This record gives sequence, C-alpha cells and structure tokens, in this order.
Amino acid sequence: MKFRGKIMDVACLNHFTRVITTISKLTKMCVLRLTPDNLFFVLSGKVANGGVSMWCELSQENFFDEFQMEGVSPEDNEICLEVTPENLSRALKTVQNAKAVKLKLTKKHCPCLTIAAELPTLSSVSRIVTHDVPVDVIPRRLWHEFKEPSMPDFDVSIYLPPLKTMKNVVDRMKNLSNFLVMEANLNGEMNLKIDTDLVSVTTHFKDLGNPPWGDEASQDRGPSQIRDPDAMAQTRVDIRKLQQFLMGQQVNPSKAMCNIVHERVVHLILLHEDVSLQYFIPAVA
Amino acid sequence: MPLSTQSQGEDEQYVLVASLDHARNLSNILKAITFKDHAIFNATPNGLKVTVEDSKCLQANAFIQSKIFQEFTIKEDMVGFQVNLTVLLDCLNIFGGSTTPGVSTALRMCYKGYGYPLTLFLEEGGVVTVCKINTQEPEEPVDFEFCSTNVTNKVILQSESLKEAFSELDMTSEVLQITMSPSQPYFRLSTFGNSGNAHYDYPKDSDMMELFKCTKTQTNRYKMSLLKPSTKALALSCKVSVRTDSRGFLSLQYLVRNDDGQICFVEYYCCPDEDVAED
Amino acid sequence: MDCVVTGGNVKVLAKAIHSLSRIGDELYVEPQEDGLALRSVNSSRSAYACFLFAPLFFSRYTIPSGPAFRCKMAIKSVQAVFRSLATLEKTVEKCHIELDEQKNRLTFTLHCKHGLMKTHNLSFQDSESLQAVFDKDSYANVFRSHPRLLVDTVVHFSPSLEEVTVSVSDDQMWVKNHVEDEADRSKAMLTELCLASDEFDNFSVQVHNSVTFCLKELRGLLVFAESTGLPISMYFDEPGRPVVLSVTDSVLEGNFVLATLSDDTDQRKNNTKRARTTPPPAPDDFMNDDMDSYLIAMDTSIMPGPSASRPPSPPLVNSTCLNHTAAANHRTRLHSEEEDEEEETVDSCGPPNKKFCSLFFGSVLPPSSQMTTQPLTGQEVLASDSEDDVQ
Repeated sequence: MKFRGKIMDVACLNHFTRVITTISKLTKMCVLRLTPDNLFFVLSGKVANGGVSMWCELSQENFFDEFQMEGVSPEDNEICLEVTPENLSRALKTVQNAKAVKLKLTKKHCPCLTIAAELPTLSSVSRIVTHDVPVDVIPRRLWHEFKEPSMPDFDVSIYLPPLKTMKNVVDRMKNLSNFLVMEANLNGEMNLKIDTDLVSVTTHFKDLGNPPWGDEASQDRGPSQIRDPDAMAQTRVDIRKLQQFLMGQQVNPSKAMCNIVHERVVHLILLHEDVSLQYFIPAVA
Repeated sequence: MPLSTQSQGEDEQYVLVASLDHARNLSNILKAITFKDHAIFNATPNGLKVTVEDSKCLQANAFIQSKIFQEFTIKEDMVGFQVNLTVLLDCLNIFGGSTTPGVSTALRMCYKGYGYPLTLFLEEGGVVTVCKINTQEPEEPVDFEFCSTNVTNKVILQSESLKEAFSELDMTSEVLQITMSPSQPYFRLSTFGNSGNAHYDYPKDSDMMELFKCTKTQTNRYKMSLLKPSTKALALSCKVSVRTDSRGFLSLQYLVRNDDGQICFVEYYCCPDEDVAED
Repeated sequence: MDCVVTGGNVKVLAKAIHSLSRIGDELYVEPQEDGLALRSVNSSRSAYACFLFAPLFFSRYTIPSGPAFRCKMAIKSVQAVFRSLATLEKTVEKCHIELDEQKNRLTFTLHCKHGLMKTHNLSFQDSESLQAVFDKDSYANVFRSHPRLLVDTVVHFSPSLEEVTVSVSDDQMWVKNHVEDEADRSKAMLTELCLASDEFDNFSVQVHNSVTFCLKELRGLLVFAESTGLPISMYFDEPGRPVVLSVTDSVLEGNFVLATLSDDTDQRKNNTKRARTTPPPAPDDFMNDDMDSYLIAMDTSIMPGPSASRPPSPPLVNSTCLNHTAAANHRTRLHSEEEDEEEETVDSCGPPNKKFCSLFFGSVLPPSSQMTTQPLTGQEVLASDSEDDVQ
C-alpha cells in the first residue's frame, strides 16, 4: 500500500484546503478512500452521527501535480483510511504559502498521512514543515460500508436557494426550535418551517427551479402517477444537522440541489467544478 | 414590493399595522433594551413605546415615533400587548441582520388585538418570511415618578467618552456609584471590586461635557447588575443625559440616530441601592 | 514611590503586563534603583518572567526611601487598568503610579484626552523578592532573531499545544511538538520544522542539544516582542537547565525563563557533539514508505511488530510534570547543580526516567523577618542573584 501526492499550484492548494476544512466542519472523523483517479471522503450513516451520512468526491488530477498510489492489491487497487479531517485542515492551513506540498502515506509511530510542505524563507534554504497525522487503516472486509450511496427514490428534487440566505435563516430558527420542516414541490417552491409554543416561522423561497431528472423520475411511475406540481414533499429534521451542513460551506457551489423523500430523508447535493458533496439528513419523528 | 400586496380585507382585521423599509431601524433600538425576555408594547397614534423591566428597580423604554415608520395605522387610542423580546429580535433578524449596502429587510408588523399573535412579514431579496409570535396580556409598567421639576443634578455627555468607561467597569463590584457635584470631582463613576476601587472622573469643562447643571453634591449607588445592560443603549447613542432627583433615582436618556438619520430615544430609570450604606 | 509614564510607553508597559499575565496570576512589583521590576511566576515554579524598566523609561521615577519595597497583587487587577490596548494608544496621555504605604495601595492614574481621569486604587500584599537564578553568559547555545521568525515557527503548532522540543546542530534548529503519553502518541499529530542558521541574526552553538519546554508560556513573550519589533535572544544548553528568552532595548529588558524537561537517557546521548538523535527528514524515496508489513499484520490479526524510527520512550511519571507543584521539594533543589540528586517527584512510582527541573529561585527574605511571607516558606536564603543588568 503506497500513496504519494504533490500539490504545487497555490490555487489548488487553497481549494484543497477549503474542501478539507468543509469536511472537518461536518464530521470529526471520516473515511478517506484513495483510488488512482479520485479521493473520497465518506461518512456512513450511523446512529452515533445522528444518522447523517456524507459522500465527497474529488477528482485527483484537478488538485495534484503528481499522484501515485498502489492499493492493497491489484484487484483492489484502493486504500481506505480513517482520518480526523480537522488535523489535516489545521496542518494545511498554516502552509498556504508553500512552494509545494506533499501528501504521503507513511509509517511512523503508527500509520500516518504525512503532510510535508516546502516554505519560502529569506535565507538560502527552504523551510520544510512536516505534519504527521495519525490514521487508521480500514481492512478490506469493512470496505463495503463505505460505498457510494445510491440516489434515493425521491419525491421532489429542487435547486437550493442561495446557501448564505439559507444559513442566515436556519441560524435564527435554531434559536427558536430544535426541529425544522423542509418542504418543496415541483413548481420550484421551497419552505423552511418551525413551529413551537412561542412562535411559528415560515420562510418561502420561490422560482428555484427543479432539476431535469425530476421529470424523468415521475415519468417512470407512469402517467397515472404524475405528481401534482404544487404538492409539497416534506421532511422534519434536526435543525442542528442542517445548520452544521450550511456552516461548513466555504465555497459557493456551481450547482446546489436537494432531493426530498417525504418523511424519510433530505439528500443535499453540492457540485463544484472538481468536487461533489452529498449529505443525507434523516427525518426525525 | 410583495408585502404590500396583502388584500384589503385582511388589513381591516388589524388594529395595528406598522411598516418599515429597513427592519433594522426597529431591531437595533430594541437591542438596546434587551436584558429580559419580555417586553411590553404600547402603541398610540404618536408611535411605539417598548418597555422592559427588571425586578421593579430598573426600567428601560424605547420610543419610536410614528413618523419613523413608512406606514403606521392604529385603529384604537391605545394598543398594548406583551411579547417575548428575544424571539421578536430573532424574527426581525431572520435574514441575518447584517448591514450589506443595498440589501435591506422590509418589515410589516400586524396585530389583530387581544388573544391574537403578533404577525411579522419580512422580505429580503424576494424571499418572504412570516412569523407569528404569541402575545400575552401586558403588565402595567412601574411609574418611577421621575419628573423634571425634582431633578437636582443633570449632565449631558457625548456618548463616546462614557462608552469607554462603561466597557471597562469592574464587574466584580456589586455597585456602580455615581457622584455629581458642583465642585470636584464634578462627575464621577466609581466601582469597588475585589482588588480595589476605581474612579472615572469627568471634569465640568471637558469638551465631552455638553451640559453641566449640578446644584448640590450627591453620591448614589446602584446595583451594577441592573445598570450594566444600559451599555448597549450607550453603544448605539451619540449623546446621553444623566439626571438624578432628590430621592437619588437615576434617569439615563440616550439619543439614538438610526441608519437613516432619524432620531429615537431610549431611557433607563434605576432606583438607588438601599442595601449599601454610604461611606 | 512615584513614577510617570507618558505617551507610547504606556502601551509598552501595558503590553508587558499582559505578557506577564500569560505566566502567572500575580504580579510582583519591585521598584529598584536600576529601574522598576515587574515579575511573575507560574504556580509550579516552572516558568518565570521579569520586565525591568530603566528610570529613563519614565518621565519621572522616584523610588521609596528606606528599606526596599516589594509587593504583589492579582495580575488581573492590573490588567484591568490597561484593558484595551487600542484605547490606550488613542486616549491616554500619561500614567501615574503612586504608592500609598499607609493604606497598602498602589494607585494607577491614567490622564486621558478630554480631561477624563481614570484612577485605580489597587490593594497589594507584601511579598518577598522573586528572582530566578540564571546567568545568560554561561549558556553554551545562544541565538538571536527577529520575533517574526519565531512567530512564523510557532504558527504551525496548535494554540493548545503544551510542549515543544528544540534541537540544534551547527547550522540548523529543529522544532517539534512533544507528546508525553504513550497513549496520546498514537492519536496525536506530530509537527516538525527546521530553521536554518542564516535565518537568525546570531546562531552560536557549542553543544548539540535538545530541550523541551512549554510553548504556551513563551507565546506571551512573542506577542510582546512582535509588537515592539525587538529581537529575541534565546539561551539554552543541557536538558534540565532552564531556557532563557530575552528582549532588550535601551530602556527595558524582558527575560522569560522556562524550565525544561530533564531526561537522563536522552541527556547522555545528546551531551556529545554529534548529529542529533532524531534523523533529518527521510529522502524523498517513495519506496521507503512501505505500508505492506503493517497491512499483513492487520489481516492476520497479529499485533504489529515494533515500528517507528524513534526508540520508544519510557513513560513519564506525571503527564503534567511541568505543572507539577514542586514547592515541597524546593528545599533540596535550590542551587543544586547535580540534577541527579533531586528528590523524586511526589507521585513517582519507581525511579523516574524523565524528571522536570523546576527553576531555581533566589529567595531573599526581607531584613525584618517578622514580615509574613507567602506560601513560599521553605525556600532557603541564597547569596546573590545573578540577573543581568540593563544593557
């Protein structure tokens, strides 16, 4: 098992760091899957995380100038590690002005992801800073837990409103309630609602647009099951999970959408040029 | 503007409708008096008066005149209700409350009368939020019986200089002592904390002192916990008047200029601390 | 005592006080003939700092006549006088410090713009003198650099990080974080970087050493030095001997003395003029980073064999040794040059391999020994202090 990658472009380093920082705000620990073409950050939905799950996919050639890996075996040409993204984020944040940053799988006192950065100095020699971030190797027999999630059979698919607006509203709603209802229809309308003894608040978003696959999905059901465009699909979620997702976003995505399975799950999808992030928030009773 | 497209029929049910192009002109002033959860709203054709009290010893009032509002319609001589102020502020700031230029939150506040919730319609960038906040029967605010004929000492200061003092006050002191006198030290704030005492002295001829009318030397102590919240009002204001009457009651009046340059007032009344004997 | 500080010096004084607050909870004040000494020490006596302001720092400097005056007070109270540095700069014209011996009060009066006067009457306690014993001239390794170099180094370490290990060779300095517990080591992130000698204004190494000390306490000095732009000098040699960091200009001198970890086993290795024990970063050979043996171990459920390039370190006696209260052991420790003869630390469960050496303090009891002293009773009287003079 070997892995070595090198980032030499300042913008790529910055972007990579921001992705890792976003992940670190979503979860304390996650699985990093390395393949010859991609890096995946995976969190599988367990009761411990309140059932949320996450899948973040990066295409390695958009970040790394050099990327070499050898997986566990030729048939399973992959490496699976459990990492603490906050450590990676912290290490990367302090080396943003590096001439080059190398990421390697090493064996120090334990298996580590080593980040070695070459920093410019006033002297004749560059300064090398290394951070050894301990990781745990995930054995092959557990790999099935970290597969790409399939697109759920959703009721409504809709583009999200500007994340900043959503975040501002959800932040305030969190002061007022622990739970929030997300509802949307095929007419491009979405509502965020809270309702407590003291107050009820509803925020209405309009003209959001619905992704094209929404139509295909209803077509699959047959003509008698075409969904009423005004009918709302809704899910009640723990507001902190939604807030955590929104707080972590460091970059404006090129596309942001959400699939709602009525009373089951909210599936959030963010697409950037070279990174895609999916986040599943289960319904609460 | 979406908010004004409400039907005529609905409007007729409301006893109070108040609209603002910039919700922050209301939320900022309310922040200056938010030290307790509940506030008493009292609306008359002159405008809105919001009162917050603490243990019958401290009272803060915010006055927003009807001409500050873009629309202010009231169907009775007086409309009163009580509402949770922190909830109200969260609603008024639902879109984040930041002051990005060119972006503002419009507000329409409506009330149907006793037993109905306070309804807020807020709009920013085409997104509309509707809030319904439960109301209670308003309590009768305390009358501090502070009248200008009974005032013994009065100063008006530019808030700038007082802000510094208030933000540095020794919070380990249980009291804030205010001395006002026609002679030295003229105007003095004192604290008595764990490690010693501290005095902030403002001379009568300081260029921060806009008015100085002290007739006799008075030293009064007030509970620090009661006066500390007034720091918020001080932070918003450009001028503050400090008055004490013959009983030692304190009146602080703050002149607040909102983002549009309009003037509102906030006042605090506080009783002297009777538990402490003077040195 | 009657001193006046004017203009920009008020901010410098304030910064020094804030800097000292990172060391201990109490401020020791001693007006001396050569200047006003402000000192602080931490509860375990493993970190000490002193700022000496020469009489020229003040626009007026008068010290009490008669027996030497010393006092101490809660540092938070003094910080309250100089709470907002930004405001100080903008509004304070001068600061007057006066002693009221009758009422046991030290009065700080800030004369501000617009006629505003802020008066703080702070009560103090009598105290004995507090002086660490150290002699900068006797250190084998001396470095000097612009504070920016150290600030840029420290930024790579987590703000909550306790300890760092600094190692030197003839032309390089390595800085890495130090992790105490075996248990923590498998989870902790290890950071290391290397500084070249030409990044320093002065880099003089006589002995290749490694010392470990607390980073947190150093940060106070870094903030002070960075804002005043004064170069920082660093002195250290064997592990166990405190490391000294200092800033100087014509009217002030600040010294931070931090205890270092004393490691008998490492000490013997390091006390020779050889390359340092920790190998330099491995050459960039991909093949060296082979994980396979580890993986095989996992699959067959056999415990992984001894890995790691560094020898396993023996467990420490206390995980927070640097903060361990050593007051009880002071009696035998003072002025002892032979660290091996130290008494064992209180919680030892066997001969410790690593011990923390507390700083050796000079404690000069006041001439009239009737004065009540602080919980530092038990300290022996020493001959002289060996603090450097200003300049």
